[in-house]
Amino acid sequence: MHSKPKVLWIDAVSCYGCSHSFYNYPQIKEILNKIDLIYHPLLPTKEFEIKSSDILIIEGAIKSNFLRLGFDLIDLIAKLIKLSRKVILIGTCSVYGGMFGEGILFNKEDKGKFYKCKDKIISIPGCPPHPEWIAYAIEMVLNDKKILLDSENRPKEIYSYTSHMGCVRNEYFEWKVDAKNFGEKEGCLFYEQGCQGPYTHSSCNKILWNEVNSKPRAGTPCFGCTEKTFPRKDLFKTETFMGIPANIPLGVSKRAYLTLAGVAKSLTNERLNKRLIDEDN
Amino acid sequence: MSKEEKKLEIMKTALNLFAKKGFYNTTIADIAREMGMSVGNMYNYFPSKESLAKELLIYTSKLFGEELKKINEMDISTKEKIKKIVELYFKKAKEEPELVDYFMRVYLSNKEIFSNGCEGMLCVSSFVTEIMIFFEEGVRKKELKNQDFFAAFGLFMGYLGGLVFLYREGILGKDIEEYIEVVSENIYNALKA
Amino acid sequence: MKITKKIISKIEGEATLKLHKKDKIIEFAEIEFWQYRGMEEFLKNRHYLDACVINPRVCGICGHSHLIATAKAIENALDVKITKKAEILREITLGLEIIQNHIKWFYLTLYPSVKQKDFFKALEFAKDIAKIIALIAGQFPHNSYAIPGGVTCDLTNLEIIKIKNFLYEMFERYQKIMSVDGKSEDLEELFEDIPKDIGRGLNRFLVLGDNLYFSSNGDFKFIREEKSTSLNKNVLYKDKFYEVGPLARNLNNPLVSSIYKKHKDSVYTRIFARLYEVNLIFEYLLKRIDEIEINEKNYIKPTQKNAKGYGVIEAPRGSLIHEIEIEDEKIKRYNIIVPTQFNLSNGNKLNPSPAQAALMNEDEKYADFIFKCFDICAICVSH
Repeated sequence: MHSKPKVLWIDAVSCYGCSHSFYNYPQIKEILNKIDLIYHPLLPTKEFEIKSSDILIIEGAIKSNFLRLGFDLIDLIAKLIKLSRKVILIGTCSVYGGMFGEGILFNKEDKGKFYKCKDKIISIPGCPPHPEWIAYAIEMVLNDKKILLDSENRPKEIYSYTSHMGCVRNEYFEWKVDAKNFGEKEGCLFYEQGCQGPYTHSSCNKILWNEVNSKPRAGTPCFGCTEKTFPRKDLFKTETFMGIPANIPLGVSKRAYLTLAGVAKSLTNERLNKRLIDEDN
Repeated sequence: MSKEEKKLEIMKTALNLFAKKGFYNTTIADIAREMGMSVGNMYNYFPSKESLAKELLIYTSKLFGEELKKINEMDISTKEKIKKIVELYFKKAKEEPELVDYFMRVYLSNKEIFSNGCEGMLCVSSFVTEIMIFFEEGVRKKELKNQDFFAAFGLFMGYLGGLVFLYREGILGKDIEEYIEVVSENIYNALKA
Repeated sequence: MKITKKIISKIEGEATLKLHKKDKIIEFAEIEFWQYRGMEEFLKNRHYLDACVINPRVCGICGHSHLIATAKAIENALDVKITKKAEILREITLGLEIIQNHIKWFYLTLYPSVKQKDFFKALEFAKDIAKIIALIAGQFPHNSYAIPGGVTCDLTNLEIIKIKNFLYEMFERYQKIMSVDGKSEDLEELFEDIPKDIGRGLNRFLVLGDNLYFSSNGDFKFIREEKSTSLNKNVLYKDKFYEVGPLARNLNNPLVSSIYKKHKDSVYTRIFARLYEVNLIFEYLLKRIDEIEINEKNYIKPTQKNAKGYGVIEAPRGSLIHEIEIEDEKIKRYNIIVPTQFNLSNGNKLNPSPAQAALMNEDEKYADFIFKCFDICAICVSH
């Protein structure tokens, strides 16, 4: 019998949100039973040792003068990457740096300290990444399946979607009906509340969180947590230049978008301009 | 002459009449007479006087829109762009006064004609879109102050409209083109970052 | 005397434990934390609302508590009142975060320090608890649905019905872990080879939050932070160390109190209180959910721009404090004090913190277990 693939899960500068997100994967048992988890920062495993692995999973950002398990963090990561066959970076911190430091593959917009190892890296950004995305990356590598990756090494089957796709507030976006306040069913969060949905690469609203919901469905704007810019400043505000969104949805020219938006705003969708659930008849 | 060319011909004729006599004092028969066409034939081109008025608005907006697009795409400062826009507007007012008259005396004064199918930005979107792009890029380049779109739009267009109105009323002391410099300067000072 | 140094991991991060021993008996213990993430600095000059996105990232297991404390601190600063509905929804999501925390801690952290035990049922349970949170808050972990002025969601009765039935189901399922009359096979199994009365702390308890059914017995004004030997800061109340957490806040419950009378503030009582608290939270939430008026407002927009404020709540591990200073809508100063800082301060031999006291005079073979029964959140300490 073949021995199970060795998986080493190491924590860099993180909050453990990636691990706790993965715990919500309904078939976590099936995945953990397929592998030999030689180390995980929270789950019961043997004591940590610097060892070779088939899959190295890194959670968290890197920064200098940071100790992990008694080792200098960056040295430790360098050794572990060298000893691994494939590396899965989980979380925005580990891919881009996020709020805690530099990423492994990128340092925000720039190339990161381990960019030269790009060939064996798969990026699963998100703060936290969806449990299904983590499961996907592990399964694909375990089964030696080819993953189509984009230029930032993100699997296209996940990150070709925008978090806008599948949002229940889509009709309000189409007809340019803005949410006036938080805590209301009505209105799109793109114009006033800072929603990053139309330019955030993620399938949150397609597969949903905890299998039931998503931030925009709960009235919270998408913060673009899968992107290299996360967490940008003024997270609840849409940056506008003379009232016009500074960033327009991915793939459309500004001229085309403004024309369409102007037309939609000129025509009134009566249904979308009143309370969704009216107390009157 | 193709049908499209003929249509354009009719629109130009109507534009002159609408601008001169107003929308309600101009009949389809008047336009037909001016064109040397029968009233029946006129209806082959435009089903109603309202639809003619609507198409004229789209046409005018496109015309201005295309000129503005050229200015937007120029590699010059926002200050220079303002001057180009003012120049465009004042020159048109002088060379094709009927265009400006139509806009002010028909479109802005008889909104009821345009209530069905020309609401909001629908018929003027080519023009308004370019103005939006002008403002957006000005702020992005940190040359204009970031503020409410309509506050800026009203200041810019209202000012130009007011001057052209005075010009068309014959009240303006000097030639309108002599105002290009000072008006551009004023607009820039009011909107700059 | 011999001193050994050991890095304790799998405590939502790591801590260094230096044990001073004489013949395997611990005479004194030093507790150090060597990680720092600089979150309070990261918040400076940002809009105060940004804290509702940044602060949950203090911690993956109790980040929601940090969100609620953030919202409360800003509301306190800007003098905002929230509606009863918003308050109940926050109670539900925070209560549920405490529940998922306790169950993960018991099976993933505490049990492995003693013996092997199937932990998948814990993950299964925690996953379903997280689902209920997500129904209200959008997702778990790391949502930002509680904002100054209320909540972002606007539920219908469909969700309320689902949440309520789910709560009943989970309450029922929890009975197999610990019943409402305090019976727990897994707890007794854990103690098969461990004495129940070890690990006694300072027998001084502090409760600062009054969320859920808890009532505070102190005032946050008397809290003082002081420099420690590592990157952690010690936390004192009226210049003394105090134990915070489930044992502290459930002592007025008759069942917890009877266990306390028998075993004092030992490991057993501490663990019992934590597991039993889950039942009390379920009961409380099931009562509160019926008080929701579906048509009440979810959110009231704050109007004030400058002020200082604080938010104190009972989080999974005890009293959590957030302090904020806002100037022109921007964060000028932010300070976070987490429960683990209270319990795991690094005092001296004459004046030890609760965890240090619990370790002293015990056999070194129980050190890991005694330490972990405080439910340490190292990552919260290294905020």
